[in-house]
Amino acid sequence: MSQWLSQVIDEARQVTDYLEPVRQQAIAKLQQNGWPGRRNESWRFTPLSSLEKRQFQAPSAGNTPVSSVETITGLNAIELVFVNGELVTNLAALSLPEGLTITSLAPDNALQQQAIAELFGSIKPGHHVFGLVNDALCQQGVYVDVAAGAKIEPVIRIINQVDEDADTHNRILVRVGEGASVRVMEQGEGSVSSVSTLFAEYCIADNAHLEHYRMVMFSDSARHIGGCHFKLHNASSLNSTLVGYGSELSRLDVDVIHAGEHANAKLNAIYLLAEGELFDLHTTIEHAMPNGTTEENARGIVGDRARAVFNGRIHIHRDAQKTLAELNNRNLLLSRRALINTKPELEIYADDVKCAHGATVAEIEEKALYYLMTRGISRSKALVMLNFGFIQELVNQIPNKAISEWLLPKLSERFLMMEVK
Amino acid sequence: MLKIQNLHASVEDKDIIKGLNLEVNPGEVHAIMGPNGAGKSTLGYVLSGREGYEVTEGSVTFNESDLLEMEVEERARAGLFLAFQYPVEIPGVSNMEFMKESVNAMREERGLEPLTAAEFLKKAKEACKQVHLPLDFLKRGVNEGFSGGEKKRNEIMQMILAEPTLCILDESDSGLDVDALQVVADGVNSQRDGKRSFIVVTHYQRLLDYIKPDFVHILADGKIVKSGDASLALEVEKSGYAFLGKKYEEVDA
Repeated sequence: MSQWLSQVIDEARQVTDYLEPVRQQAIAKLQQNGWPGRRNESWRFTPLSSLEKRQFQAPSAGNTPVSSVETITGLNAIELVFVNGELVTNLAALSLPEGLTITSLAPDNALQQQAIAELFGSIKPGHHVFGLVNDALCQQGVYVDVAAGAKIEPVIRIINQVDEDADTHNRILVRVGEGASVRVMEQGEGSVSSVSTLFAEYCIADNAHLEHYRMVMFSDSARHIGGCHFKLHNASSLNSTLVGYGSELSRLDVDVIHAGEHANAKLNAIYLLAEGELFDLHTTIEHAMPNGTTEENARGIVGDRARAVFNGRIHIHRDAQKTLAELNNRNLLLSRRALINTKPELEIYADDVKCAHGATVAEIEEKALYYLMTRGISRSKALVMLNFGFIQELVNQIPNKAISEWLLPKLSERFLMMEVK
Repeated sequence: MLKIQNLHASVEDKDIIKGLNLEVNPGEVHAIMGPNGAGKSTLGYVLSGREGYEVTEGSVTFNESDLLEMEVEERARAGLFLAFQYPVEIPGVSNMEFMKESVNAMREERGLEPLTAAEFLKKAKEACKQVHLPLDFLKRGVNEGFSGGEKKRNEIMQMILAEPTLCILDESDSGLDVDALQVVADGVNSQRDGKRSFIVVTHYQRLLDYIKPDFVHILADGKIVKSGDASLALEVEKSGYAFLGKKYEEVDA
């Protein structure tokens, strides 16, 4: 047991509210499983040593800084802002479209408490250590309910800013009703030494659609561990775009559970890492029911001394006949010291399925670069033409124009700052 | 236009060019011939500024500027064009996108507005027809899956669009049949306007039947050992590089 985890458990014992049963369960699991060491397969390439000996640090109360949220031009958004773990948006003051309800994790209404308690921890698998920490400690978050049939136009943009050295834990719970559709963007940022966890759970009912974004834009000394967990019911669909910058420690676990038939999941992930950054993406797709489809593309560029970890697992259960699943991971290394650990994993127990997976790692082609430059094209432009196309392709697939137009220049600028060695 | 004085260059610490002198005036066509390993391709790479080709001595002046001080792309924008012996395949970047980027970079240098997509397409189609390539080659990845001859024609198409002042053709004839050779030569000849200069690097005299040189130089062991008019090429054709001495006779046999 690490010092930090013991303190987390002590802290969690003080929390008393309507979520107590889940919290107790989480504490028991944490005590039973202990701290994940190097031999723990899911943390094999991502050292937790900087966290292990950390002193638990609650956010300073009472002086919540004023947040400054970067606007996304042309985006019709409902913005929910967390600063150092605390929800600073006044939910009561929001004017929401019909069919959309947003509440905090501490509603006074017993029915809402019940709805939250039903969802909290029900989709996120119990094996995520930091998910359990979040279960035990998290008191700040939002619960989004989309009524059956409601088509919610604006993007619910949830921003998680961390700018003090504290432990912060937040939760996003979303229930998308039958035949409804909604767009949710989760965006985290911060550069100071800190530990933040943000786990999101989505229950997507029959024929419902979720357009989802997770932008893990922490940098420098920030440590962020989070997850996005989706449960897809009959004929529902998910289109998710994940973006990862690296930092001291940045880890994202994604689980997609096909719990109904004919569900479709599309997952695109992009990561751009420089200097000594680390980004670790673990995705697990569970095909438990027949006739589902999954299309997953993870693409990244790793420069300097940065390190990326990608673990993509597709598990096709015995009953999941006629599943179509594709998983592809492409990487570009910009320097000799950059590193990627990539591992696609297919586990198939049904006999009538179509599955494909692949992973590639490439390096900068000096000959092609020189060729373009002999035609008057600048080195930076040539680098973008040669090496950014495969990232741009995924950005172009983003269904929301305002988001893709905001993201593309950010990513290309980040790419151009990386040194090729 | 181009003045090379006592040029020495090495690759991975091996001296390849060993005191080369050459002066090219506007409108002239110079052929450089020589046996394998004489440094013919190296000259093109050194002039274009390829990384790893180190100039150890000498100077190169191009249109009154110090060429060796310029970056690869600056040399291109200043009007130097190198047609490669082995053009690189770049899947994922379309020929069209690539050439538009190139042409507009050149235009920017000359203080001209960038061409719109429609304007460029019109020019590109004309150039494409001129080198007898089907129009769908514009949409394909740069040189991706092109045959040897198609790659050479693609180089000439780029040359036509770039409107350079000095073209260096590095063995643009190698691996071509007579028809393709004719197309490449026609492309080059169409660009001869009395001002634009050419350095035609070739192993064989054959190309020079189609592109008439004003001067022929023989490059051997990193130096120009003999210069003359077009008749020198015919002499080489007839008796090989024997006059250079036994060493080259064997290499070339």
